[in-house]
Amino acid sequence: MSWPVAFPLMILASSLVPGLIIFFLPEERVRTRVGLNLGGALLKVILVCIVLVGVFNGQHYETRIPFLPGLDLVLRIGALSIMFVTLSAGLWLVTTIYAIGYLEDSPHRSRFFGFFSFCVTATVGVALAGNLITFILFYEFLTLATYPLILHRGTDAAHQAGRTYLIYTLAGGALLLVGTVWLYSVAGTLEFSHRGFVAGLPDTQHAVLIIIFVLLIAGLGVKAALIPLHSWLPQAMVAPAPVSALLHAVAVVKAGAFGIVRVVYDVYGIEFADSLGVTLPLAILAAMTIIYGSVRALLQTDLKRRLAFSTVSQVSYITLGIAVAGPIATIGGLVHLVHQGVMKITLFFCAGNLAETLGIHEITEMDGVGRRMPWTMAAFTIGAFGMIGAPPLAGFISKWYLGLGALNAGQNWVIYILIGSSLLNAAYFLPVLHRAWFKEAVGEWPDERHFGRKETAWALLLPPLFTALMTLALGLLASAPFSPLEWARFVITLEYAR
Amino acid sequence: MNTGAFLLLSVPGFPLLMALVLALGGIRKTTLLLAPWMALPALLMTFSVTPGTSLEMSWLLLGSSLGIDETGRVFLFFTSLLWLLAGIYAAGYLASQAARLRFFTWYLFAMAGNLGLILAQDLAVFYTFFALMSFASYGLVVFEGTAEALRAGRIYIILVVIGEVLLFAGFVLAAQAAAGNIELDTVQQVIVGSAKQDWIIGLIFLGFGIKAGVIGLHFWLPLAHPVAPTPASAVLSGAMIAAGLLGWLRVLPLGEASFAGWGEAMTLVGLGSLYYAVLVGVVQQNAKTVLAYSSISKMGIMTMGIGLGMLAPQVWPLTLIAILIFALHHALVKGGLFLGAGMAAKAAGSKMQRRLIIGGLLILSLSLAGAPLTSGMLAKLLFKFPMMQITTPLLDWAQILLTLSALATTLLMARFLYLVWPQREVTEKNVAAPLTMWWSWLFLLAVVVMSPLFIPLVTENLHLSLEMLLGALWPAVVGGIGAALVWLVVRRRRLPALLDVPPGDVLFIVEKVIYPSLAAFLAWVFVTFPKAISSLFSACCGWRGNELFSAVVESYGSRLARWNTAIILLLATGLLVVVLLIH
Repeated sequence: MSWPVAFPLMILASSLVPGLIIFFLPEERVRTRVGLNLGGALLKVILVCIVLVGVFNGQHYETRIPFLPGLDLVLRIGALSIMFVTLSAGLWLVTTIYAIGYLEDSPHRSRFFGFFSFCVTATVGVALAGNLITFILFYEFLTLATYPLILHRGTDAAHQAGRTYLIYTLAGGALLLVGTVWLYSVAGTLEFSHRGFVAGLPDTQHAVLIIIFVLLIAGLGVKAALIPLHSWLPQAMVAPAPVSALLHAVAVVKAGAFGIVRVVYDVYGIEFADSLGVTLPLAILAAMTIIYGSVRALLQTDLKRRLAFSTVSQVSYITLGIAVAGPIATIGGLVHLVHQGVMKITLFFCAGNLAETLGIHEITEMDGVGRRMPWTMAAFTIGAFGMIGAPPLAGFISKWYLGLGALNAGQNWVIYILIGSSLLNAAYFLPVLHRAWFKEAVGEWPDERHFGRKETAWALLLPPLFTALMTLALGLLASAPFSPLEWARFVITLEYAR
Repeated sequence: MNTGAFLLLSVPGFPLLMALVLALGGIRKTTLLLAPWMALPALLMTFSVTPGTSLEMSWLLLGSSLGIDETGRVFLFFTSLLWLLAGIYAAGYLASQAARLRFFTWYLFAMAGNLGLILAQDLAVFYTFFALMSFASYGLVVFEGTAEALRAGRIYIILVVIGEVLLFAGFVLAAQAAAGNIELDTVQQVIVGSAKQDWIIGLIFLGFGIKAGVIGLHFWLPLAHPVAPTPASAVLSGAMIAAGLLGWLRVLPLGEASFAGWGEAMTLVGLGSLYYAVLVGVVQQNAKTVLAYSSISKMGIMTMGIGLGMLAPQVWPLTLIAILIFALHHALVKGGLFLGAGMAAKAAGSKMQRRLIIGGLLILSLSLAGAPLTSGMLAKLLFKFPMMQITTPLLDWAQILLTLSALATTLLMARFLYLVWPQREVTEKNVAAPLTMWWSWLFLLAVVVMSPLFIPLVTENLHLSLEMLLGALWPAVVGGIGAALVWLVVRRRRLPALLDVPPGDVLFIVEKVIYPSLAAFLAWVFVTFPKAISSLFSACCGWRGNELFSAVVESYGSRLARWNTAIILLLATGLLVVVLLIH
């Protein structure tokens, strides 16, 4: 087996194998488990870096496994997929460190980390899938691997959230499958290709293609939390903080958004989708989701719920950028795939730190917390300003390209959405920051734990600090080589090159 | 890296690094000693650097560069000087180490933003430093932690965020007109004749207008500027207010083409600010609030200058000089007045000290009013050169009103002096002000007094004549006499209730009229109406959604009592109306 064929499999295996072993580890083998987790995560990051340089230099990586007659399972690493893989691999490493610190001494860690590794394997599979059927397999695998993580705490609320999650995502998966099978019967192939594979079909099929598009987007829209399919996401915030990070930044929501990118670009082709007239409704749906999610976030009093609704809003930037249908807006959407992940994971880590260290869940309990946990709140502040879209942070770069791209595509109304969203983001983040930094703490924290002179454990503190620095770096160094922005530009030159 | 490039980086770099060290709680004694001096590299650079020096950083943000030109140099000079002196003043003004630590963290972040934006050569860097300055200043506004400060801070931050999004929209439109190019020089040129020209100009004017205190957007300013600690008030009202002006100078297509409509509108708005702020300011009860209104009034003159630039590109070089000199004059004098107000409250212990403070404040006030041989007189005269070359009815009126404004300023300053006059019985308790306060204030005073000599461009064009001196003298004399008469008449009498205008004037209308009616309207839309609907539903089909509805409705209801929610909903409604009107 040659390297170009082996690499996709190795990237998958670097989390699948540790996951399998961890399942059979006894609970008390902490060191082995930590070693496996971190070893796998590090290995994956290294592999991804090698492949990243390879892709940049025009190397082609593809693995093909016969599956059904005429349908292979294909893993292919291209410029677009490696962008998502890099994000997932990088954030998985950070989240693993965080999870180890977060779940210290709690029960069922082998089960947790086993499914945790599966989750990332599935996400990477979603990213690498070279055709729609492979995509669906990993997409469903992701659903199933995430379910036990949401249930992890075993409380009633967790069961309730898990049930909702399963109903939503399985229904979505079913729609996706129906759409895919139908598409296969119409087009005769499911292979992703630049500029899509359905564009050549006769005009008589266009009505069918529109219906299939709606089915596919409805299926993917569940995970991408497009309204009205978003309700599972805020409920799922009962899960432990590392799982929230996984749901909101690394894996689940991203898989949905990435799927939409795939369908619009590599199944339909952006120009063909535009000519079918399906992109504008999608853009409008994304815009409505952005505003709706922000308004709901404003009304939440629980910190994690507020963050969850904020995700509903922010992830739709990606869809919006794609659906606006122009090269620059697409850069904005793609780059936000990475930027939103880094910013939101920072915020969830910080929320987790507040809950773990001080027992803070409600926003009203955050008075004066900046003095008690300055580093955590500094990271939170950077994440929040990033979400608002203040320069020079990552969110500003996304918003700038979305705005510029929308204007270039003649969709001026998008500017109002961006402005409205920025205002709403400011309205629900700035009061939180004011509480944390400028109010005095009143009395005792709800449930305080002490960590010597540190504000909290290292494993909980370093991950948000790292991702906060990344939030800053992604914005400040947006034009440096290998930045997500430059990479998104690179992807676009491939998509829009004739 | 060459020296020029290093110097450019050091301008925002030093305060930024020091702010980070302070924020992270580094070696406190040393850092606190060094903190006030962080504007010094910038000040030194204004003397040593050759205009045109620039530093390319293609990897930064959207591909950026820093650089300095003549306009930048003038701004950098007065901005860094004021930040430096106010910083040294603050080291004495704030007694406890903990307070200094907290103060200087915000102060240095804001300083880094204010100095950095002067060197920005493209939209992204300008926007970044502008945002840094605006958001960090929140820490200065709410520093005292009083209810008043918190209220001012809330209104301030809402206006900052609105300004940010207006600028975002304006910048994106401008960048699109320039095909993605964001260099300031290019942007200024491409705005002319671009499809969205009026949108861009309007958004930029309003976005920066919030910072510059343009009438209608000014109401945050009399609340936020005075409520901060005195040295912060000085930089807010002297230096940071000018950042809005610089924004206009950098982005608006001044000197590129004639925009009669915009030019006339801005001139009118400027004249409106000039007089309206005096009228409201003169009935204020707090000396620092009077100064804030005076800043709005003076920014009106500069707004008028921008209007002149839009109107008459052919005289733009002259107008630009006038604006630059006026900005310099205003920054230093207003900074001196704020710091002096702090001296009057804290340092007037002995008779000698009181005399010194009163003398200094008198000189500063006369300078602001444009009395003979002051920088104020020169700055105002410079405005007349470009205005004399254009004759339109509006500009003829503007010239007369500009001359008369000296009278208005004199009255306003008389009010200020009346309010700030150090009372012996009050000051007996806190006599000793640290020497740093004295030295920095006296130094600033000396610079203000000497500044007419250092305005090189002026002496060449300008031959001082007796006429001019007399022309500058009479408003001060008449205004002084008028103020004395008013004082004689109204002293020991309360101001009539009609004149009791609260700081923030029109904000009163927003808070007492617009907001309650808006809240009532929203309450009806979101609470009463849905409740009626849901009970209707449950009445006719026993629908379970009733509980859900009342839960949602309750959370809406409790939120409605809050400012931010209301503002957002207001804006959303406004946006909707705008969208509907356009399409």
